[in-house]
Amino acid sequence: MEQLRGDWTAQVAAAWAVSPFAVELSVLSETELGSFNDYLATAPSLPFRYVSIHGPSKERRLGEEELVVELLRLAGWADAIVMHPDTIEDPRPYRVLGRKLLIENMDGRKAWGRTHEELAQVFEELPEAGFCFDIAHAWSIDGDMTVSEELLDAFLERLGQVHVSSLTSELRHVPLTEVHKELFRPVLQRCLDVPWILEAPLRPT
Amino acid sequence: MAGSAKSPLEELAATTGRGFPHLMGAREQTAGGLEDRRARLASLRHDSDTSVVLMGSWGRAEVTGGSDDDFMVLIDGPDRKVAPSIAEVRTVLDRAPGDQGVFGDRVSCDDLVDNIGLDPDKNTNLTRRMLFLLESVPGTAEDVYSAARKRVLGRYLDESTKDFRPPRLLLNDTIRYWRTVTVDFAAKEHAGSAKWGLQNAKLRTSRKVLFAGGLLPIFGCANLERGAMFGFLNAQLDMPPTDRIARAFLEQDAADTGARALGAYDQFVGLLDDKNLRQRLENLTRATAEESEVFAEVRLLGSQFEAGLLALLFETEPLSKLVRDYGVF
Repeated sequence: MEQLRGDWTAQVAAAWAVSPFAVELSVLSETELGSFNDYLATAPSLPFRYVSIHGPSKERRLGEEELVVELLRLAGWADAIVMHPDTIEDPRPYRVLGRKLLIENMDGRKAWGRTHEELAQVFEELPEAGFCFDIAHAWSIDGDMTVSEELLDAFLERLGQVHVSSLTSELRHVPLTEVHKELFRPVLQRCLDVPWILEAPLRPT
Repeated sequence: MAGSAKSPLEELAATTGRGFPHLMGAREQTAGGLEDRRARLASLRHDSDTSVVLMGSWGRAEVTGGSDDDFMVLIDGPDRKVAPSIAEVRTVLDRAPGDQGVFGDRVSCDDLVDNIGLDPDKNTNLTRRMLFLLESVPGTAEDVYSAARKRVLGRYLDESTKDFRPPRLLLNDTIRYWRTVTVDFAAKEHAGSAKWGLQNAKLRTSRKVLFAGGLLPIFGCANLERGAMFGFLNAQLDMPPTDRIARAFLEQDAADTGARALGAYDQFVGLLDDKNLRQRLENLTRATAEESEVFAEVRLLGSQFEAGLLALLFETEPLSKLVRDYGVF
């Protein structure tokens, strides 16, 4: 989807071709907010039962409260707003997002926000927030999937959606490998009722 | 539920570490209220083939502060004037039944058994039969109640029933009933129902408990030879529907999903137990619901509950195959 960045209409069409059930629109860089707002200004009718929007984690310029105002506006379009915990300096302004806010677990490169103990501190400040479980991020910390199981044990009731992919050695999201499909299967079996967002295209069969 | 063995809902709680405080509280309230009502109803003279049957939240073991005393006087034989009369039962029960004309009446088991399908199986007969099977408990004369349920089940498990397949007649009638509930909801709205908010909330939650609580044991029959189905279904129907659902989640290795689904339903039951919130729900119209926080909460809980049930039915084996093979045609 990298080549479609900025072309929201094309991204929505590509996502719809995979599944009309769920989509995550990623505004990963704050610089993309402008084009995304332009897209939303066209009042598109999004053909999905579940829409999440991934808030900015790169090229952050807005202050915390200004960003939350933006997110709150986007929340009107979405069932969920996903944020990386390591980009949140002060969680308190985010409380206005209520249960629409989902906090994602981080990968092994990040210094914080990776384990259930670290995320528990975030949820203490954001009691209504849900959990976005990125299985590849958890795998990057611990290949035997113990961290994954611990995260799901700790945040069973908060689970709102799952990010599914494999990771390269540089921790770039790539299509799920056959090895990971088998390794992740018992963990994903615990997440049958929430939307699964594919963070890389499906492998051709 | 006799003895100290854990119920499926308690097993699900123990497996996942997620309690269901509102459901467990409602079960306690149901048990206490049932003891009280049974004692009062026992003072009434009964014909040998009659039983006062408590329905609705009594049958789901989900009695809360706002629950009605929905009942029917069941006759395990043809309809006639019997003891106790409806008026006599009303004198000893606290709260009048709902006003749909389904409850608070005499019901002949002959009508429930002999009129499955075709014109004599009117909406009221279908509704009474399904609610009797899926969410009822005996208030008096347990032997009469059990005999009548066996007759109804026996009629459903007719000669068309096959080994290792869901019993088609019961499956089709259960699905027909759920669709009838949804169509009747729309009809009530069209007729200007004053209780749109509460009816909508129940359609998203407790009506789905009722439907899933029937559907799952029926699909469970696909593991059985024909001769074992009667006993299996009879035992399942002795449990509240939330236990039947919890059992299915456990058996399908989907405990986490079950905990989230029944956890959402647990919160709904807690919400109904709050007099103020229940009142706000009752007063809602389609026009005012969009601005209502309590309705937004119910909609979210209903979605979570439905997502869990859909995952159980469509993402676990062998249920997904059974739903595909028998759930549509």
